[in-house]
Amino acid sequence: MDSRDELAARLDACQKCSVCTAQCPVAKVNPHFIGPKGLGPDMERFRMGQIIQGETTLDDCSNCKTCELTCPSGVKITEMILNARRAARQAPNSNPLSLKLRLRGYVLGRAEYLGKLGVIWPSLTNQVLKIKLVRVALDRALSISESGPLPAYAKPLKLQGDKGEKLGASARKQVVYFPGCYTRYNEADTGRIMIKVLEHLGYKTIVPNFHCCGLPLEANGQFEQAHKNGLYNLELMRPYLEAGLPIITSCTSCGLTMKEDYPKLQTTSAQLIGTQTYDLFEFLWQLYEKGELPLDFQEVKASYGYHPPCHLKAQGIGTPALRILGLIPGVKIRNLDAGCCGLSGSYGFKAEKYDKAMKIGSTLFEAINVGAGRGDFQGMTTECGVCKVQIQHGTGLLTEHPVCILAKAYGLIN
Amino acid sequence: MREIDTQVVVIGGGATGVGILRDLSLRGIPALLLEQGDLAHGTSSRFHGLLHSGGRYVVKDDKAAQECIEENRILKRIAAHCIEDTSGWFVYLNGDDPNYLELWIKGCAQAGIPVKEVPLEEAFRLEPLLTRKAARVFEVPDATVDGFKLLWANVKSAEKYGGNYQTYCKVQSLWLEQGQVVGAYAEDLITGETIQVRSKIVVNAAGPWSSEIAAMSGFDVHIQKDKGALLVFNQRMFKRVINRLRTPGDGDIFVPHETVTIFGTTSQTVDLPDDHQVNEQDVTDLIEIGHNLAEEIEQQRVVRAFAGIRPLYESVDASDHEGRGVSRNFSLIDHEKKDGVRGLVSIVGGKLTTYRLMAEKVTDWVAAKLGVQTVCRTAEEPLQNELATEVWDKARQLLGVAAADKMMERLNEQAESVVEAIACQPLLGQYVCECEMVTQAEVLHALQDPSIHSLDDLRRQTRLGMGTCQGTYCTYRATPMIQERFGGWERTVQEYQILLSERWRGITPVLWGEQLRESELARALFLNVLNFKVEESEG
Repeated sequence: MDSRDELAARLDACQKCSVCTAQCPVAKVNPHFIGPKGLGPDMERFRMGQIIQGETTLDDCSNCKTCELTCPSGVKITEMILNARRAARQAPNSNPLSLKLRLRGYVLGRAEYLGKLGVIWPSLTNQVLKIKLVRVALDRALSISESGPLPAYAKPLKLQGDKGEKLGASARKQVVYFPGCYTRYNEADTGRIMIKVLEHLGYKTIVPNFHCCGLPLEANGQFEQAHKNGLYNLELMRPYLEAGLPIITSCTSCGLTMKEDYPKLQTTSAQLIGTQTYDLFEFLWQLYEKGELPLDFQEVKASYGYHPPCHLKAQGIGTPALRILGLIPGVKIRNLDAGCCGLSGSYGFKAEKYDKAMKIGSTLFEAINVGAGRGDFQGMTTECGVCKVQIQHGTGLLTEHPVCILAKAYGLIN
Repeated sequence: MREIDTQVVVIGGGATGVGILRDLSLRGIPALLLEQGDLAHGTSSRFHGLLHSGGRYVVKDDKAAQECIEENRILKRIAAHCIEDTSGWFVYLNGDDPNYLELWIKGCAQAGIPVKEVPLEEAFRLEPLLTRKAARVFEVPDATVDGFKLLWANVKSAEKYGGNYQTYCKVQSLWLEQGQVVGAYAEDLITGETIQVRSKIVVNAAGPWSSEIAAMSGFDVHIQKDKGALLVFNQRMFKRVINRLRTPGDGDIFVPHETVTIFGTTSQTVDLPDDHQVNEQDVTDLIEIGHNLAEEIEQQRVVRAFAGIRPLYESVDASDHEGRGVSRNFSLIDHEKKDGVRGLVSIVGGKLTTYRLMAEKVTDWVAAKLGVQTVCRTAEEPLQNELATEVWDKARQLLGVAAADKMMERLNEQAESVVEAIACQPLLGQYVCECEMVTQAEVLHALQDPSIHSLDDLRRQTRLGMGTCQGTYCTYRATPMIQERFGGWERTVQEYQILLSERWRGITPVLWGEQLRESELARALFLNVLNFKVEESEG
């Protein structure tokens, strides 16, 4: 079966039970949004009748994939919606989005180029982005919300080549790291800490010059560019994949893209990527199970609330970070599991979506505020960079990547 | 007893009947149509929804083929909102009869049906599910037509010109006086009242029931009731109508109809005009034959099976009584010539594609009898006026393209008030039936219509309950609205049961795979959550 048939078959699997819509974070806060079932499988039957939907309705979906996770029948709901978006964009007589929104899609889709620009002089960029007038201008010119929590830029992560070293089984232990744009340009510290942790475990980390994984491009309707990025990255990974090296990422959205979308690309390494990509903590848990994870932890006297990102859930690997952090003496951690943060990549940066995104996140913010207020925990932790940005924006509570806690336990940072 | 005076009584609210009512009304002849059930409850909705190009008949019956292509062109013009101009393919498979292919190509040329050969590679690209056994593919102007919309558009147009119709009104006997039919007696099935209608002429357009109507006065109209079973697939498997290029037989047409695909048919003579039961053997046979055109047919979800009765007229003895210029495709029986009684005409045979032509011939006959000179205008005058683009745009803005377009096609001239209601109260734009995207506003609007007497009527008018879930969710979601219209919980539950039983009847022959899961979910919902009781079913 080709992918069209596969989707058609999964469409048949929809039982119309509405579990997806009941769980959809966007539908919860927006009664006028028809929800994933409506936008996905319901509309799909009409789209097959050559009805082309407008892009604006399809745009309400934040691409968080909660629907696919909850569907008891395995219907690829988000994929249907994304495909419909693509079709809407390609339709000859479709009602085109305004130039402003197209331009915004171009900008928000290109976290990578923004990153490259931003890190030329990070402090200046950050100062400029803090100027109220600049944000107002961005809002007016590009409909990028003036209130949205645009992440700050920092000194970028250094690339590390393999230096012609021998790859594979006989060589020393190596992993390839896919940092993702957020870690690379906005928060390279997390990346550097992760590399230190892996080093502590005896792994050498290779960081090739990857492009953006493609997810923000797709979410902003830049399908062709996303496809190109996927092929470019796979080509870069090929020698490592063929040598059997694991590809590790600390970003849950990049991880999901590599696990779900890359295997569908038409290139040889696409067949390997699915089985060789790991979320960082998924990889660490595997080491633990094999008895290869050093347990020389120092006590860390700290308590955290944990937010599982939507795209981690969509990977279907549970919450390995929680399990690993649970091994550290002294660490108290509470899984809040209070739903989507609302930002969902770049969704919450959009002017017309900002309020909705904040509303979506309100359940989580409340859980955090209540928990922190009661003294259940002092800080927050989550794997996803933009979830972190949104949590800090919504609650003001310091939020860090779980690898930072692990690094403290190994005594690698203070 | 209620008494009504009119010029013409038309018996039967199928396509032919409503076509006649409209034609009479356009010519200024007062008429009343009597229908025992809801409009389109019989053959006019129980077919594959194909608007023939005539391609299917070119070899065997070139007259019928010519009529089809002419009517095809007329209907695309006058009933555009009921028709999706999908085009259709005739697919010649490896191993099919080459002689037939040759005759077919010649026949199309003779009948004036435009044919374009589609290169195989392009055919497979355009229709990925098409069998790889296809050897040659030809495109013809087939299309799909919605029987429900077509019928409603006809009666609404007739009403505008003074025509009347009454549903749930069953004719009990014809009123005869001295060798002349002068009207009919009917029972209003809703109120139980007897209605006496006096008229100059009675038209028997009752389709499979035509024999029964004629037999009321002892006349013999021999209709062969030919049951055809069809399968409804959950989604559109093809974008075009797919016919097999061979001598017409069972299971050789796939029709993309609205959101589904209808595949059929079978052919079996039955005794009763409402024998709509499909058995498992029909389904097995159809799926087996369907492999020839779509190899992956078994992987496709079937949501239900249904059957219709073709009222075939055994035309052997008809030739003596045939009306003027009527082809063998359908027959006009003048009972004065046949039985020596004046004022009664039966119109039998035919197909939905030629309903307008049949109506024209009947109305010509009636007009001649009544001395009315007005000419037929049904081939030129559209069934309804074009809706203002502002209303379309507004609806699309409020509901999105898919839901808006489908609603506008159904409501057309009445759409404006519904769109306005949604604009004032956006939550009225929420769907009651999500599978077919029927809004609360449309349901409320339909319930105002005096001809809606049941949930099943509502289904025919709005498509509520006709999608994937087959009424599992939309029926109970419609509760508050139904209860208000029909009064009382007991009646509402009764309506559920009627509708769900009918849905269930269509699902049972195809109870496997995803539809089985859906049915189990529906059972759990209605029996456990909503506390419905299981009724013993027959057989």
